[in-house]
Order: sequence, then structure tokens, then C-alpha cells
Amino acid sequence: MALLARPSLVTVSDPVTVQAASVRAYIDNTLTGLLHELSLPPSEGHPSITLRRRSNTATYAINHRNGALEALHSEILDRTYSWPGKSAYEAWRFSYFKSQNVVDTVVDDLAYTIGVERAALNVEAAGKGLITGPFTLRRGSQVVMDARFSSQDNLIPRLQEDDEIDIAGTRWILIIEKEAVFHRLARDNYHMTALAGQGLLITGKGYPDLCTRAFIHHIICTASSGNGRPPPIYALVDGDPDGISIMSMYKYGSMAHSHENSRFVVPNLQYLGLRVSDAIKDSELSENISLLALTPRDRHKIVSMLQNSPIWAADGPEPEWRAELQRLLMLNLKAEIEILYEREGGLKGWIDQKMFRQV
Amino acid sequence: MSKQYILLGSAINAHSADIFSLAVTNKHLLSASGSPALKVHAIQDTEFPLVQSIDGAHPLGCHHVVTDGSGTRAVSAGFAGDLKVWSCVDGHWSADKAATANLASARVWAIALSYDGMYLAGVSSNGNIGVWDLDSGEQIRNHETKNSFGTCIDLSPDGRLIASGHENGSVYVFSTESGRMPYSVTGLVKPVRAVAFSPGSRILAAAGNSKVILLYDTASGEQIGTLSGHEAWVVSLSWSFTGEYLLSSSFDGKVKVWNIETKACVSTQAQNDQVVWSTKWFVKSVNGKSDAFAMAGADKNILFYREASG
Repeated sequence: MALLARPSLVTVSDPVTVQAASVRAYIDNTLTGLLHELSLPPSEGHPSITLRRRSNTATYAINHRNGALEALHSEILDRTYSWPGKSAYEAWRFSYFKSQNVVDTVVDDLAYTIGVERAALNVEAAGKGLITGPFTLRRGSQVVMDARFSSQDNLIPRLQEDDEIDIAGTRWILIIEKEAVFHRLARDNYHMTALAGQGLLITGKGYPDLCTRAFIHHIICTASSGNGRPPPIYALVDGDPDGISIMSMYKYGSMAHSHENSRFVVPNLQYLGLRVSDAIKDSELSENISLLALTPRDRHKIVSMLQNSPIWAADGPEPEWRAELQRLLMLNLKAEIEILYEREGGLKGWIDQKMFRQV
Repeated sequence: MSKQYILLGSAINAHSADIFSLAVTNKHLLSASGSPALKVHAIQDTEFPLVQSIDGAHPLGCHHVVTDGSGTRAVSAGFAGDLKVWSCVDGHWSADKAATANLASARVWAIALSYDGMYLAGVSSNGNIGVWDLDSGEQIRNHETKNSFGTCIDLSPDGRLIASGHENGSVYVFSTESGRMPYSVTGLVKPVRAVAFSPGSRILAAAGNSKVILLYDTASGEQIGTLSGHEAWVVSLSWSFTGEYLLSSSFDGKVKVWNIETKACVSTQAQNDQVVWSTKWFVKSVNGKSDAFAMAGADKNILFYREASG
């Protein structure tokens, strides 16, 4: 008999204490069930744990109320983990847990089965994102983080309830795909010297983790709830399918975490660049700037992005992103942000110009 | 000697995305874009009205559309790698489902249709060139090249030659009869983005990131002329029906008309600095015949020009 612990009716918006209670209840029920099975004679007892999993063949859509990418009618699959091997040692050695991916998936399934957020299981990985700029974080009576004076390596903190964020001096927020580009701008003090005033530099080092996305979402909410206009927020990504995909992950969220996207969206995110047409103009002006041909993987990825996500659909919310993906295919070219280093005025001059054009 | 072209009409926001390709028949201009629909405008009417929208033709958008000489058949290529064959009966275009099904396995990027509409030539992202018999669905030619992205392809109007342009600067010419390369074509080093045979099949024009347009004698493969003047990548070429003029469009939004006899640019049009992905001659036969052309690109508009009568 497979034991299926019924998910209690807890929603992700419930307070942490309620979530913690359902985690405890789930563990109690599961252990009780397993012990019962184990106490039966070996021929009758079938100790196993069944986890629920969201189907990954769901249809996705943008929720127009909160701007998040969400699964429409996600089919629920049950997956049963029975007892492999004869002993606990063998079970672990056999194990489902050979790679981090498997662990991640099981943790996701576990959270979904219980009906709580990953955070309630206390297994979230440390964040990898970085931040520099006029930003302070106050926890209780202590300033736990002050990113104004560039040490360059301020890890984006995992926010706790009642944390107070101050971004009063911030005129703009720039989300950067690449860590190397972030370091270059931070080292050059761009967050203090930009033409548009002081601002925040943030990188999630490629595809951002939940911690980085949650943090950005939170500072946007903080800024919008204050007086005056919130600072504009821009994305600086490579002119290739991964760059555009990373930008969409910040703005709308990911398909893998579609149930949690509404908590991480950045609806006002603007596309600063790099567009391939801009890169082509620069490449005509300087011999040192060269563009790369798309690889077969790039072309395949663009087609699958256009095919599978509502973000880039013909009647979707981002016609300019869709157009950019199609232009990449037409030209069979991509452009990395680093080419802007070689440009007259450099990367900083380019960002200065672009920010003013977008305001 | 410069020539005057006057703006005859326009279809503003003809598509909701970049217009990538134009094709003409004696009655219609077909346009393909990043949006799913193909649009058909009547080119002999003074207002160039939209007469048909083929909705949902290519959900991911369409990058090439080509027509045959009689104006009864068209083929379009979508970003998903999907090819569709269309036929025109009584002025209305509809899907030729049998011929479309025959092309299901043809993975090509740029396409060209033979003058009689019987054969489709295509070049793929790995540089392979194929020819299909549209009625039987049989692939009758397969030429492997050096694995460089095939950006453009054309079939000579007499049906004897295929030319393809590639990202590595190569232009390959194959004989349709023997399947051999009669000569090698040299001169362009940077990516080639457009190739076009003259109406008499005697000249091949090729251009791309080098900004110049090179003319080749199709009998010998020798370079017989250079058309210089574009200041950006050339992305589209079209011959006038008499072969006297060549039309070209570039990445900076310019469209130029070249006199083939003198090798001089006789007219330049520009609306803005956005890329004009496609430009095509057509014959305007209202009040006598005159040369006219259409241009379209990233600004989503189609503009129609005609030679000023004088």
C-alpha cells in the first residue's frame, strides 16, 4: 500500500508559522505511515512515500493581474518512492540522490505535496546574486548590510520578515546578466557616477536564483509604496537567446517555479539591451567589435522559446522581445555585452545614453 | 543620369511585426513578417488595398515568401522550419495541402520557386542545398556544401542554375541538369545575404555584409561589375523585368536603384534608418506600363514607388 499524505489546505500566502505546522504534520503522518508498513510482516508491508509533482507539460500564460508567468491547468502527477535495497545504507547508495538536480526536484515535490513554500522546509540554497549601490538593510536595530561603498561582493541577502530596506538615494536599478560586467561597472564606480545619478547594480550571475528574484521584487515593492516615482529598472543582457530568456525570468518568472512566480515578478523591467541591431552599428564603426554566428543550439533554443512560452507569442506581452528573437534568426548573429567595452565611450557611455533614451 | 521615383501609396503597419519578405505576381504583393499572417495587397489598384489576410499561416512568424512566374503558386517558410505551399485561384490564395505535406521533411531556411512553379529550391542552416518536385514531393537534388549557414538562394528564370549565398562569404552555383558546379564564384569574403539572377539568366548579382553588389557572368562565372554606394549591409536584391535595373535594400534603411549598363546608382530612397528587409520590382499596368517597386522592413510599413513619367 502506497501512503499518500494528503496535502493540507495551506496556500503560499499563509504565514510562516502555519506553514511550519503543516510541515510538522506531514512529517508526523508520513513517519507514522512508514512505521506502520514496516511493522507488518515483510510480505505485506510496502513502505513507500508518494510525492505529488506538477506536470511539466502544462500550458502557461501571463496572469494579467500580477504580471506573472503561471501554469494554466497543471496536471498533478504522483510519484512513489518505495524502499530500494535491503538496508538504509543500500537505499542511499542506490539512491535517487546522485545529483543536485534530483535533490532539487524532490525538494520541490515535497514542498508541493505538503502545500508550503520551499523556504518552509529550510532547505533553500544560499543566494548567489550580487548588489552594489545606495542600499542599506536594517534588521531590528542593526544595519546588517550597507552596499553604498563598493566592496563589490555584497551577496544579495535572504530577506526576513520585518527587514527594513532603504534605497532612498537610488535613481535607477540595473540588472546585469553577467558577473564580469557587473564587476567592471562596480569597479568603475558606475553606481555612484552614472549620468542618471546614483543607482543599484545587481547581477544574478546568469539565470537568477529565487533569492535574487525575491530580493529585487521586494525592493521594487518598497520603492513603489513610498512617495514619488519609483526608480526605473533596466535589464542589460547579451543579445542572444539566453540573455532574452534570463531577462524574461526576472520579469515574469520561470516555468519551473510557475506556482511561485507572482511573488517574484518585476513588471516594470525595461529592456536596455543589447539588441543585435545596435551591435551591428557599432561593429561597423570599429574593427575590434565582432559579432558571433548563432550555434545550432542557439537557433534551436530561439525556436523553442517562440514555440513554448506565452511571453514571446504573437499576441503576447512582449512584441519587441519576439521581434528581437526573430531578428537574431534572420541575421544568424548574436552579440555579447562585452563588445561594448570596445566602443567609443565604452560600456558606461553606452548605458548613460540608453538610460536617457528610455526615460 | 538619375531617375525620379514617386511614392504611389503605402500600407502603414501592414503587419504587427518586422516585414521580412515580399513576393509579387502580376496582381498581388504577398508579404511575410514576424506575425503569423501572410498579407496580400492588390498592386494594380490605385490604393494598393489589402485583399486577403492568410491568418495563422505561420504561428512563429514567416521569414521567406516566394512566387512562381505565372502568379498561381507561392511557398512560404516559417521560423519553426515549416514550409507551406499556396495556390491562387480566381484571385484568392488558399493552402495546397498535398504539396505542403510533401515538404514536411525539408528543413530549409531560404527558398526559391522555379518560374513554372514546379520545383522548390532551398538552402538550410548547415549549408545543404535541396531541390524538391512539389507535385510528387520527391527530393530531386541534394548538394552538400561546407556547413556554412545558407542565407539566400535563387533559381535562374531559364531553370538551368541554382545559386546560394552563405555566411562564410561563399556563393555556390549548381547546374540543375548535371548537379555539378560549372565554376566557382569568388569575390565576397563577408557573409552573403542576397543572390538574384537577371530575367535573361545571364547575370547573377550577389551582395551582403561587404556592402558592394557584385555582378557575375553566368556563362563563365567571371565577375563583370561592381555596384558600390551602400553604406551598410545589403540584405535584398531584385531585378527589373527588362533586366536594365537592379534594386537593392540595406540594413540602414536605404533602397537603391542601379543602372546595369552604367553601373551607377540612379536613385536612393529612405524613410528612416530601420532595416529594409525586402524590396521587389513589379509592373504597374494602369495607364500604360511602368516600373514600380515595393519596400518593407522593420518599420512594419509597405511603401510603393513608381518611376515618375517624363
